[in-house]
Amino acid sequence: MGNKETSWEPKIIAFLCNWCSYAGADLAGVGRMQYPANVRVIRVPCSGRISPFFILSSLQNGADGVLVSGCHPGDCHYLTGNYSARRKFALLKSQLEHIGIEKERVQFTWVSASEGGKFAEVINRVTETVKALGPAKRLVKKCL
Amino acid sequence: MSSTRITGAVLVVGGGIGGIQSSLDLAESGFKVYLVEKSPAIGGTMPQLDKTFPTNDCSMCILSPKLVECGRHLNIEILTNAELKGISGKPGNFKAVIEQKPRYVAMDKCTGCGDCAEKCPVKLPDLFNKGLSQRKAIFRLFEQAYPPTFAIEKEACLECGICARHCAAEAIDFEMEPNTLEINIGSIILSPGFEEFDAGLIANYGYGIFKNVITSIEFERILSASGPYQGQLLRPSDMKPPQRIAWIQCVGSRDIHKVNNNYCSAVCCTYAIKEAVVAKEHSSTDLNTTIFYIDIRTYGKGFENYYERAKEEHGVRFVKSEIHRIYRDENENLILRFSENNKIKEEEFDLVVLSVGVTQSEANQELAKTLGIQLNQHGFCRVEDFSPVSTSRAGIFTAGVFSEPKDIPETVMAASAAAGEASGILAAARHTLARDKEYPQEKNIIGEKPRIGIFICHCGINIGSVVDISAVKDYAATLQNVVFVEDSLFTCSQDSQQKIKERIEEHNLNRVVVAACTPRTHEPLFQETLRETGLNKYLFEMANIRDQCSWVHQGQPEKATEKAKDLIRMSVAKAKLIEPLFQTNLEVNHSALVVGGGISGMVSALTVARQGFKVHVIEKSSRFGGIANNIYSTIEGFDVQVYLKELIDEVSNNPLIHLYTEAEILDVSGYVGNFKTRLVIGAGKEEKEITHGVVVIASGGDIYKPNEYLYGNNPNVFSLIELEGEIAKKNNLISTSRNIVLIQCIGSRDDERSYCSRTCCSKAVKLSLELKKLNPDVNIYVLYRDIRTYGFKEQYYLEAREKGVLFIPYDVSDKPEVEAISKEGKDFIKVTVNDLILNESFSIDADILALATAIIPSPDSKKLAGLFKVPLDENGFFMEAHIKLRPVDFPTEGVFVCGLAHSPKLITESIIQAKAAASRACIILSRDKIESGATVSTINKDKCSGCGMCMELCPFIAIEIDGEDNTATVNEALCKGCGVCASSCRCGAVDIMGFTNNEIYSMIKNGAFGVLE
Amino acid sequence: MTDVSNKIREEAGKLLEKGEVDVIIGFEKGSIPLSATPCFIRNEADIEKLIWNEYCGNNLSLYLSKARGKIGIIAKGCDTRAIVELIKEKQVQRERIVIIGVPCEGMLDRKRIMIRCQSRNITGIEDQGRQLLITGDSLNVAVEKDEFFYPACQVCANRNPVMCDVFIGNTIEEQKTDEFTDVTDFNEKPSEERWAYITDEIDRCIRCYACRNACPLCYCKECFVDATQPQWVGKTIEQSDTLSFHIMRSIHLAGRCIECGACERACPVMVDIRKLNRKMSADVKNMFGYKTGLDIDQPAPLSVFKPDDSEEFILDI
Repeated sequence: MGNKETSWEPKIIAFLCNWCSYAGADLAGVGRMQYPANVRVIRVPCSGRISPFFILSSLQNGADGVLVSGCHPGDCHYLTGNYSARRKFALLKSQLEHIGIEKERVQFTWVSASEGGKFAEVINRVTETVKALGPAKRLVKKCL
Repeated sequence: MSSTRITGAVLVVGGGIGGIQSSLDLAESGFKVYLVEKSPAIGGTMPQLDKTFPTNDCSMCILSPKLVECGRHLNIEILTNAELKGISGKPGNFKAVIEQKPRYVAMDKCTGCGDCAEKCPVKLPDLFNKGLSQRKAIFRLFEQAYPPTFAIEKEACLECGICARHCAAEAIDFEMEPNTLEINIGSIILSPGFEEFDAGLIANYGYGIFKNVITSIEFERILSASGPYQGQLLRPSDMKPPQRIAWIQCVGSRDIHKVNNNYCSAVCCTYAIKEAVVAKEHSSTDLNTTIFYIDIRTYGKGFENYYERAKEEHGVRFVKSEIHRIYRDENENLILRFSENNKIKEEEFDLVVLSVGVTQSEANQELAKTLGIQLNQHGFCRVEDFSPVSTSRAGIFTAGVFSEPKDIPETVMAASAAAGEASGILAAARHTLARDKEYPQEKNIIGEKPRIGIFICHCGINIGSVVDISAVKDYAATLQNVVFVEDSLFTCSQDSQQKIKERIEEHNLNRVVVAACTPRTHEPLFQETLRETGLNKYLFEMANIRDQCSWVHQGQPEKATEKAKDLIRMSVAKAKLIEPLFQTNLEVNHSALVVGGGISGMVSALTVARQGFKVHVIEKSSRFGGIANNIYSTIEGFDVQVYLKELIDEVSNNPLIHLYTEAEILDVSGYVGNFKTRLVIGAGKEEKEITHGVVVIASGGDIYKPNEYLYGNNPNVFSLIELEGEIAKKNNLISTSRNIVLIQCIGSRDDERSYCSRTCCSKAVKLSLELKKLNPDVNIYVLYRDIRTYGFKEQYYLEAREKGVLFIPYDVSDKPEVEAISKEGKDFIKVTVNDLILNESFSIDADILALATAIIPSPDSKKLAGLFKVPLDENGFFMEAHIKLRPVDFPTEGVFVCGLAHSPKLITESIIQAKAAASRACIILSRDKIESGATVSTINKDKCSGCGMCMELCPFIAIEIDGEDNTATVNEALCKGCGVCASSCRCGAVDIMGFTNNEIYSMIKNGAFGVLE
Repeated sequence: MTDVSNKIREEAGKLLEKGEVDVIIGFEKGSIPLSATPCFIRNEADIEKLIWNEYCGNNLSLYLSKARGKIGIIAKGCDTRAIVELIKEKQVQRERIVIIGVPCEGMLDRKRIMIRCQSRNITGIEDQGRQLLITGDSLNVAVEKDEFFYPACQVCANRNPVMCDVFIGNTIEEQKTDEFTDVTDFNEKPSEERWAYITDEIDRCIRCYACRNACPLCYCKECFVDATQPQWVGKTIEQSDTLSFHIMRSIHLAGRCIECGACERACPVMVDIRKLNRKMSADVKNMFGYKTGLDIDQPAPLSVFKPDDSEEFILDI
């Protein structure tokens, strides 16, 4: 078991908005900024597209962590998508914490199209914290 | 019909980004285009660059889709290896003679496989890589080149026939003859580009002798993953990674001593910064990068921030010192002597990059002679301030660096502007020679079992060197519904598109997944390929295994390979569920609305009207002209007031242009092709509704009013623009002044406004010269941080210095101080400054103090941004769709931007951008119908409860609740597909086409778990 | 109580008589002790059926979308709060209803009283004001009412109708209870303890959806748990699925739950559902300054935003 723990790598689902964060992730690539290979990106038009179901479903299906990233407030390609998303995310994150899900499992951040460095850092940080938590146990479905 | 006398075709000379943009704009607005390029492939300089500033986008990657788009456009005929040899006729009806050299490879036969080049025994320096590597006598300029056909360099060829023997397509033809073509066109656009300055002309730098002294373009090639060293940062002498790199600026520019170039090349400062930043990213060690400069000229949009970040975040070192000579030691290291902090220093570097300027080649000058167009004193194409894309010969226009050094976005703007000018004289012949692209009938795949084809790209070595492509390929083949998997060196190249089409046919594919770079740049390209085979373009999905995988996991090939498998599995999971989507045709209202009645607005309006469309111009004040009402001449000496009067007269007398003053917008509704704008006009507040198909935002900017430096508290303190007014009035104060001080960068380049206002240095120089004219004895002191007289404005800076204007640099942390004083009954402004070069402080008793106050966004910008639903940047200027390649477009279709509303700029630059915006707008106006987006919101009425949440959250007011059955209805023309509605609908009644809940759920299931199914 | 019942009958009778409404939604006597049942009165002749007592716990707004014509509704504080939200969400048209508002001092929790009575057969109930004397087969207990109000009623901050056309009885003093100390206290417990509590509760859930069916704000034509394309939440009674159902339901009710406690009353296995809903109520109040069900003109917190909304939860690097 101990051996298994050390070789364990978390799997993290990231929802990135097409215009800022996905572009920021591409820019991290353009700059050859290195970060851990634990993240699986799902591209969505806007952080406003992200339903609480996406996050919950990721956790249920075995993701050890979930990252949501959109344009900085005020910079939304769709003008206000991230503002309305922010309220939704605030409540969901708070509720998950409330019922006892480790709060670091679900993270939200803003990464602009020019912040390749920030994207890499976010991935580093999120991977590190999720790794420290160990495999997700709460809310994971046992039979899929 | 008048069109019988006008030819609806345009000749574009030069296949760089400028020529490509002009060609695409013209072809899209109903003209036939001949694009003549003298090399074997289009692309120009951009393919040689590694990254582009200030976003560090990969240059080839943003260009490549344009190459393919241009290459496959039905109305663009590309003539490579070709040169324009002569013209006859007049505007509207030219005849051009074009000579095309043989490429000795048949274009209709060559498949671009490269077997010929592999076998060719002749090796010669690869000029695309600036001789840092070798290529064969049969070659392709670069991998993604269009046309992808190989070519033989006849001078080097042994005619051994080995290539012909190995060419399965039998494409080699040594008998090919040169070809002379005669074509009929109505107008010509010249964008033949530039030549880098020959660094060998400066003997002191040892270029060509010292192996580790290279030019900036050579360094670009070294940085490039497709370059001679596969993107490894190495120096030529010993192929070791350099630890210390120096850039020497202004090589061949701003140099009247070593070479006679009295202009600034305008791009070198920012590209050197880019190269330093990118080099640091490439280096595994803490690379020491030093840029030796005279002035840092980061005047463009977003450049100043880029400069600051290079200094602060990346630790690039900047030294304000000229370098007169480079010394070399026995290890091929290079020693530079310079002055830093008033001390002479000597330092060793492993590599020195010469930031070479741009010049005009003899060939370009010859071209000008052939066409009978005038050149200016610098050997560039002569244009005038108020007609900046017109050559001296009617009907012939120019774009790009041929007329002045400029960067990519300015080239793209000039290219669109030139296309607009050509369209203006050929409007009557629109659609006479151009054809509409016809696609095969779309296959009906609904109900078919998914048959997915996967195309995996190596991207040269970019993906293949990290990700184990063959393992990924094997894995992909095991996925359910996948019937075909193939890998290729560059999936984006033109020949790969052909191959994809063949595979779709052969295997009857009904879904395509490409695993490659990123959908952000390449999705449209592959979608077009699908369309050409009769597949609905939305039956496409892309897995990002380069930008977000191989590039960021270079040291972990195994994990990167696993990730690539996962990403492909997720894409396949989505692909299985995607369905064809359909765009709807929308009628187009053929008139434009221009917001703002300054020079930009009026020029836009005229450009649109000349193409035959109706324009409404709304101006908020009672007077047209905007800020230009307070500007009297350009730095080149053209009279702005005379121009402005003519412009206003022309606009007022044009029957297609409707002017409204004291107009305020109440609200805007509608979408591209069909906008409705409600206004109140005039003192009477009369309400009016305008319907229009497009909008050009030319709402201008404002001038910063400082609180500092006694401004507003002392009658002898002016802003530069106010001083210009005083000069025009010949204020007595000027002729009696002994000392006049100008302070630069007031409100620019500071914490609050991090951008450079671009125009103030030129204005300060211009005003200094005028002041000297009025009062030759006056002492003029210009206190500055960097003098940014880029391009040909440099010569006036030189002239001002020759005339004795004193330019004194100050440091931003030690700003000049001023104080109102009285001496012998006279009032002065005592200005104290610490001269950065002499490192000594002194005071001037100034009679006049003029402040170079920043250009700031118009206070209306925010409101307009809200009304037209377009974004602003962090400084409050309008933010274009792409800073490099879409500089006048917005992501919102049908809305365009120009002038100060976009960023600070000079009148000439505003005119170019205004013409460009109008030209782009006319592409839409020239159509009868346009297609709306397909990735829009859709409502399942059976599930909708009509709660109105989606309606309230929709940023585009695209959803209404239907009174009848209390359910939501989406206006697809207004919907942009953001998905806020879908994520907020509790009842699950709303979905987004192309990003459906089902598709995303499937990706989640396949991404969250290791392996499913 | 009898006074109130009479007044209700009088007012309801008038409305029916004048033809101002087609139906009155109110309560009639339940078929078992300690209960009242929702009823629909269409004829003046049936008006005497209407009653008012401490067992009228159901949220009658639930039936508004189900009845046709013009409706008169007997509404407590919580019913009116639900009506406010339903009007905002375009599920009820204000002009279609006449609200007969009744202040409420709390409703009694039959289930817990029955437990107190060891579920024996009850033959007599004597209401002594603050106490009930309950008698039956070998049963004789005094029940302190204060201890047996529904949990939702105990923390109810709006016991008077927030909106009505006819007001019955006298305005009562409101409890000062909306500080959400219960939520704060729970949040202060360690994550493991919270998880243990929540899963203990949730594990009892048999997924009968009585909570959803009783909820006046759960009006979707198809609930997400019944949807198949995609099936976001599995239909099993595995903890992950059950909990996900309850989390999502609480998210869907965020800023909309008017805390009537209908869900909990309906739950056959007494799951502490309000633990989740209360958290959301506390959050919308603290984060967005929103109190549900009070103001018909105040937009729902998730239908608007402020540029300076809290960013505390955003990962800042």
